[in-house]
Amino acid sequence: MVMEINSSQMKRVQLFEVVGRVDSTNATELGQTMDRAVDDGRNNVVLDLGGVEYMSSAGLREMVRVLKRVKRGGGDLRIANPSERVQEVLELAGLDTIFEIYPTQVEAVGSF
Amino acid sequence: MGEVRRLVIAARLEEVRDACDFVVEAAEAAQLDERAVYHCQMAVDEALTNVIEHGYAYQGDGSQIEVTCHTDLNRFVITITDNGPAFNPLEHESPNPAQELEEREPGGWGIYFIRKLTDDVAYQRVGDKNRLILYKNLPTAIQIGGPDEGGEDLFPTRMVNGDVIIYPAGRLDSNTSPMLEQTLKSQLEQGHYWMFVDMAAVEYIASSGLKVLVAIWRRAQERGGNVFLSGLQPRIVEIFEMVGFDMLFEIFPDLDAARAARSQQD
Repeated sequence: MVMEINSSQMKRVQLFEVVGRVDSTNATELGQTMDRAVDDGRNNVVLDLGGVEYMSSAGLREMVRVLKRVKRGGGDLRIANPSERVQEVLELAGLDTIFEIYPTQVEAVGSF
Repeated sequence: MGEVRRLVIAARLEEVRDACDFVVEAAEAAQLDERAVYHCQMAVDEALTNVIEHGYAYQGDGSQIEVTCHTDLNRFVITITDNGPAFNPLEHESPNPAQELEEREPGGWGIYFIRKLTDDVAYQRVGDKNRLILYKNLPTAIQIGGPDEGGEDLFPTRMVNGDVIIYPAGRLDSNTSPMLEQTLKSQLEQGHYWMFVDMAAVEYIASSGLKVLVAIWRRAQERGGNVFLSGLQPRIVEIFEMVGFDMLFEIFPDLDAARAARSQQD
């Protein structure tokens, strides 16, 4: 398994739990998975990165693209539980001020 | 220059992961810490992805990219060589991380991260090849010959109101007792006859360590001083009692108690 995405539809929120490695070979798969929820009008999205051991800029690019999309639909894409390394990369790209980031999934889901 | 590790991959995104694994292994072998290893992995991933997405976009299969790793004096060096069209990523402007969401362009972040995650980057056009060289500094401790070589081997000491506090640590055996002796002697030679030896971090003391303490204690006493011991772990106390040293030395539960006893004697 390189990357696995577990998807759960909650009352107000669409939750995606990502496990493994997100790079240029599979980042679009992550983006398309989120797109399908947004297509169905679910614009409040939580991306739990707790299981992500590695993410390259390809993954960030998809996250930013989907964020723009859900914001236009009046929703938000919020991040939960990034590892120290992924958090550092988000900060380097200035994305820590663009995404709402929560230490736990419960807090991210509860923020909607 | 250390051993050179070399990997050749086909110019396809699916192969980048192998190159990442290769670089991670080499970076770990070069003693980089977990964070620096991650930085190397990501820098290489971004560099290879750039080469493949830009340089090879219109080429058929069969193109290859070479990745090598080695260490020079104080840097871990990753070299990426491809035979795509001339492309110097360093000439391209990096995106601005302070940009608002709607102003953000999707491209350019690869080279941005390469710059951010390494300590230096160089580009060379060598014949018909592009060469990108990434440098990551090695931890300071292993630069040139190891830590504190040639320095005096002494345990830490601290002066408080003319008294000296000595902090030996670890095992005081035939290997380390000379270091304790050297530490204590140099204090006596500087005229410091009142010594507090805080033994809290001492895990074991052999007869060689005991001998040093007694010898120094005698000399301190001859000069009107003393050696106060504190913070002995239970196992050390046991050893002291076994050889009757508990009758010889003033022993205190901790350094503060030893200091308080000293001020009462003044």
